[in-house]
Amino acid sequence: MESIVLEVKNLTKKFGSFTAVDNLSFSIKDGEILGLLGPNGAGKTTTIQMLLGVMDQTAGNVFYFNKPFNKYREEILKQINFSSTYISFPMFFNPLEILDIFARLYEIPNRKKRIDKLLHDFEIDHLAKMQFFTLSSGERTRVLLAKAFINYPKIILLDEPTASLDIDIAVKVRKFLEKEKKEYKTSMLFTSHNMSEVEEMCDRIIILNHGKIIAEDAPENLIKDITNAKLELTIENDTKRAFEFFTRIKMSFEQDRFNFKININEKRIAEFLMSLGKEGIQYENIGIEKPDLEDYFLQAIKGQNL
Amino acid sequence: MINFNRVIAMIMRYTINMRHNLDRLSDMFYWPLMDLVLMGLTGLYFAKMNINNPHATEIILTGVIFWWIVWRGQYEISVNLLSEIWDRNLVNIFVAPLKISEWILSLLIFGLFKMIASSIFLTLLAFVLYKYNVLMYGFLIIPIALSLLMSGWIIGFIIAGILILFGLKIQTLAWVGGAILAPFSAIYYPLSILPAWAQKAALFVPSSYMFEGMREFITTGSMPFEKFLISFVLNIIYLTLSIWFFIAMFKKSRKLGLGRLI
Repeated sequence: MESIVLEVKNLTKKFGSFTAVDNLSFSIKDGEILGLLGPNGAGKTTTIQMLLGVMDQTAGNVFYFNKPFNKYREEILKQINFSSTYISFPMFFNPLEILDIFARLYEIPNRKKRIDKLLHDFEIDHLAKMQFFTLSSGERTRVLLAKAFINYPKIILLDEPTASLDIDIAVKVRKFLEKEKKEYKTSMLFTSHNMSEVEEMCDRIIILNHGKIIAEDAPENLIKDITNAKLELTIENDTKRAFEFFTRIKMSFEQDRFNFKININEKRIAEFLMSLGKEGIQYENIGIEKPDLEDYFLQAIKGQNL
Repeated sequence: MINFNRVIAMIMRYTINMRHNLDRLSDMFYWPLMDLVLMGLTGLYFAKMNINNPHATEIILTGVIFWWIVWRGQYEISVNLLSEIWDRNLVNIFVAPLKISEWILSLLIFGLFKMIASSIFLTLLAFVLYKYNVLMYGFLIIPIALSLLMSGWIIGFIIAGILILFGLKIQTLAWVGGAILAPFSAIYYPLSILPAWAQKAALFVPSSYMFEGMREFITTGSMPFEKFLISFVLNIIYLTLSIWFFIAMFKKSRKLGLGRLI
């Protein structure tokens, strides 16, 4: 049985009368990647700050490896790490100096070997002696990630880890994260606005809104809950009639010249296409877009029935 | 328990920062040099004006050199905290297993080294420019410097406590905060010149005893022990309170989230 490495119980954060995080409870298993999603202001960053101990909670408890974080802070911090796009490093330092300071803070044995490996893994060897402020945002993100893995963390909290990365580098970073998970059973708490990335990477997802969990499950299970698909039709000859017909039967649709994007329950697609035939409306092209995590996310946030 | 590996890591962090950052090098050498030149020349001018004090130049140079120790102590604490905020690195260091006590110790040790470097530079310069020998105090120079450094640390921790809570909107305190003690420290003039209320206030300022004591040494050749003692005792009490204040403000800031400061 996989053990629980992080357990959050009734975590609450209030700023005066405003509740930023409201009675949050969840856990992460050994080697699991948990996605934390939510719109801006949902409480993701506040939650992460409390999990890292740089913000005190108003109520609730955080346990890492079955130990209370507030009592075993130093021991726990040695085994976790963090990366975010909203933090940075001293501007005049080079990556080698940055990683050396953090390797010392985490008391990493064979510092040089570890640093060389991370510089190589994140493909920043050639930048090792360049000052941080001269690096591009993608290169900086890779230095931040290298620091986050310096201490062989058992749990890593990643806030938008691939933001501002080129697609090819983002793919490499995702592969690196998957490799770390596989080889070292590293658990991850992952936030991202890239839904396909979350869908691909995460074993489980939590969606937060107004500080509360509004959905929690494996991405594939969440998507299953969505019954609506997007039906794309190209109608060149009967465009006007098609528009009138869709309006008359109160379909939810978008039109771009001859192209219609219709929001429809998957089970009703066949019946709908038949009704088009009966109306004598001919379509030239058809495409069906299956629902994805983004659809689920948008519906969950809007509070629609799933 | 203090972990010295982490203390060394933070000292290295600030040392590398100083090496890369011309601002930090200039505040170590350029400004002390300017102060020494301007105030030293002023002292020479006073001496030539036949002011009734043959030690005018020595007193002014003593004030310049030893006030830099107070300033250095204060500046290193508050500006190194600010540099973590400027660099958006504060969260990075506190998600590492660094304890607040280890961070404080690293600032104190780094401040001590910079004070020694600045003081050696000023000592040599004062001798070359004005034939003024700071080493006339003999071994007394060590407790004098330590006491004044502690006075600087006290202001530094109070300012750092305010900065960690209010952040960059009040950052100017790091440069001007130390000046609040200067008039009451009687750096260049005797305490008796201050108005009565300020003299009473100066009784609570540890650095005032040190500057008074040093002036007495220049004129009589002996250092009043009781002034030393009072200064040390006050420094130890205030330093303890100022560190307590800083830690309390740090905890208050952590309640609001350190991430908001970056």
